[in-house]
Amino acid sequence: MNRDLSQANETAETASEQTHFYNSLTSEVGSAGKIEVARDSVSEPVIRSWCDAMSESNPLYINQDFANDSKHGGIIAPPAMLQVWTMSGLHLGNQFQRNTEDSPSAGVYQLLDEAGFTGVVATNATYHYNEVIRPGDLISASQKLLDVSEEKTTAIGMGHFVTTETIYSDASGKQVGSMEFRVLKFRPGTGNKSERSEIKPPRPKPASNSSTDWFWDACNIKELRIQSCNECTNLQHPPAVRCLSCGSVSLDSVIATGKGTLHSWAIAHYPQVPAFDYPLIVGLVELEEGVRLVSNVTNVEPEELEIGMPLEVDWLNVDNEFTLHQFKPVHNENQEAEFENTETGDSNDQTFDSGQNNPETESTQRQVLKLDPDNVQIGDELPISPVPVTTLLIVSTALATRDYQDVHHDPKAAQSKGMPDIFMNILTSAGIVSRWINDWAGSEIDWGSIELRLGAPNHPDDTMTLSGSITEKTQHGSQVSLNIAFLGKNDRGVHVSGNAKILLPENSKGD
Amino acid sequence: MNANFSSETAIVGIGATEFSKESGRTPMELAVEACEAALGDAGVDASDVDGIVTFSSEQNFEIEVARNLRIPSLSHFSMIPHGGGAACGTIGQAAAAIFSGSANYVLCYRAFNERSWHRFGSGVQGRHAGAEAFDVTFGWTSPFGLLTPASWVAMFATRYMHLSGATSEDFGRVAVTDRKFAATNPAAFFYERPITLEEHQESRWIVEPLHLLDCCQESDGGQAILVTSLERARDLPNPPAVIASAAQGSTDDQQAMRSYYRDDIARIPEMKLCADQLWKNTGLGPSDIQVANIYDHFTPLFLPQLEEFGFCEKGEAKEFLRDGNIEMDGQLPTNTNGGQLGEAYIHGMNGIAEAVRQIRGTSVNQVENVENALVTAGTSVPTSALILSQDH
Repeated sequence: MNRDLSQANETAETASEQTHFYNSLTSEVGSAGKIEVARDSVSEPVIRSWCDAMSESNPLYINQDFANDSKHGGIIAPPAMLQVWTMSGLHLGNQFQRNTEDSPSAGVYQLLDEAGFTGVVATNATYHYNEVIRPGDLISASQKLLDVSEEKTTAIGMGHFVTTETIYSDASGKQVGSMEFRVLKFRPGTGNKSERSEIKPPRPKPASNSSTDWFWDACNIKELRIQSCNECTNLQHPPAVRCLSCGSVSLDSVIATGKGTLHSWAIAHYPQVPAFDYPLIVGLVELEEGVRLVSNVTNVEPEELEIGMPLEVDWLNVDNEFTLHQFKPVHNENQEAEFENTETGDSNDQTFDSGQNNPETESTQRQVLKLDPDNVQIGDELPISPVPVTTLLIVSTALATRDYQDVHHDPKAAQSKGMPDIFMNILTSAGIVSRWINDWAGSEIDWGSIELRLGAPNHPDDTMTLSGSITEKTQHGSQVSLNIAFLGKNDRGVHVSGNAKILLPENSKGD
Repeated sequence: MNANFSSETAIVGIGATEFSKESGRTPMELAVEACEAALGDAGVDASDVDGIVTFSSEQNFEIEVARNLRIPSLSHFSMIPHGGGAACGTIGQAAAAIFSGSANYVLCYRAFNERSWHRFGSGVQGRHAGAEAFDVTFGWTSPFGLLTPASWVAMFATRYMHLSGATSEDFGRVAVTDRKFAATNPAAFFYERPITLEEHQESRWIVEPLHLLDCCQESDGGQAILVTSLERARDLPNPPAVIASAAQGSTDDQQAMRSYYRDDIARIPEMKLCADQLWKNTGLGPSDIQVANIYDHFTPLFLPQLEEFGFCEKGEAKEFLRDGNIEMDGQLPTNTNGGQLGEAYIHGMNGIAEAVRQIRGTSVNQVENVENALVTAGTSVPTSALILSQDH
């Protein structure tokens, strides 16, 4: 804390200087930059490169014959590419400097860079899609600076959130979409969590032997198991080598529902062991099956702890070595991934349905519509989908979205800006979520909007697990629209959460 | 024949080193010094000792101690498991050995540098990664950060507070009383350093709901106790502290420090088992006890012990404390040496020595007319307890 203050003081010795600095940051709020016209019109090769990088196989984007027969009468651009077309692209050496350099946000970024806030991460983006974009369209963008926050303490460092709004139009001036975008410009090295996680050793691995390995093996596939007796159906924990009720040697296990209540708790403050974050909440959980176990209670503030509170199981992958059960409050709808809260890992999928993973079927033969608009219901869950995050994925998607920021391809540059490694850009998070929803809903849905909040970054060797469900269903005549709340988690926490609005084609089309 | 050899044996010698945070010598030196002091106190020559009983965590094995003391032979030696829970058990097993005829004079001791060497309170971090059953038990707690004795006890404390309505201030009353007695005991580490309830409340968290001042010290030091038959004791210089009864207890679904899986974790059934045996073997009851040494490694578990022995009803230890009953002028003056929070944490052995002094009438905080003194051993592990009485 003192260190953070002293660093802040280097650039702003006094309160009045801080005020002056903040005033200069906000002087351009409300103003709009000049209209930037994309260098190139929308083209199929750029669309295909993007689809390749995102594993997007929707034939509307890449299959001419299929697209010609669709209601669009030809190839369309993935809506999630909205932002791509006017990205400034790569400019090295003595090339002519292109656009965006004099946008209002660029001025703010420069001021922040000079003041030491050289790190940058996107934290929020909301895209609204008004019109379909097709090859040949020439897109232009007009950006307006909406807000610059006061200095905030976040997990990755002290910084300012900068919020912009960009309106995208076609050559005729018609609005095709819009984007509200927020980035955090932060001072590298001032974050507590990211720094510490770099030197943090893993938690102690559970000591186990052949009498207990089954329990921990089950945890590794996110199953919480309780030892059961085949003779008298007694359930017991911790496991033993005999039934503690009838003495039988015939023991098995059952999968617990993962639901329970908090029987007691302890909050560890001292001594602090490097593998853990403190204060550390440890709970004694009474499962609804009647046995108790010790676990961590996550997603809760210490003062919210209450004996008897309902909990449900959650999972913590430790260094891709082993998985531990964790518990979180049942009624915690806290799905926003605020940057302040990118805590230690908790990943979420309780019902791991391996049958629905990775629908990597090839493009053209797929069904037009996978969902029956009459039968989809609020609460329906999308298939849980793990997305392995590799260096190749991060770099190829960054390039496919024409995002040449060094933090997305150069590990040393990422480290100099306060991140442990390169990380996925927000355009890709949007693209992958869109692809996952297309895979589930079918190719001929129409996209209304997508809103993303970014939390824990996706680094190489992470696995981001996507999950989501229908939270709204509205019907206008025969047109059904859905709101899908989604969540992408990795071992460090929530990478992305948000909402997508899609419209389903009329039912008769699928018959 | 005296069932359970009640009052057939006695403690005839007690001896200790100074209690410190850095003894400046090895644990073996401390063990031998403490034993020599106990033998000197008893007026017994080491060559007459033929038994040694210690308890686990003791690193000074009986053969090396015997060698240093020039004890020629040992016909009884044993080490009781589960650390501090066995403190009174050593006296019980010494008495059993004497009563059975397998030994005549039995030394019991504890000596260590649990502050200046390996800090006892640091718990099991990095240890117990093996595959033996005892290691495996730590697999259920260590990966979640429950690594220290304080953290293991905190889980019981939260539940006890929830069910009984006891507060952190009630726990604090134990610490304040301990430190008040320690303040007048020159042998105590916290001699002349009492604390207030406010200081207790303001002390930092160790593991919520335990403040720093709910946790006993880590100490360097040694304490030894010599046991023999009451018949021989009567020929020795000190008045015998008669072992009216000593008992051990381990009960349903017992775990070491973490018996979290039984029905009511706000109770201490293994201590109840000890209490039942002591009352049955001696014919005494709570109102017959004039002074007690109640194990206080962490203050919260002091309370349910009072309940298990029947000094108050279940859940009412808080009122017992609020009424000042464990203070010098209370119904049950307790831990008159300062306890393990105030004197030293010698895993309960120094509490037994204090009970001996109360029977002899030599405590610096002497209670009047002591007929019977109760001592309990470590809680949340298989435990033990004893009653010492005047010889009549």
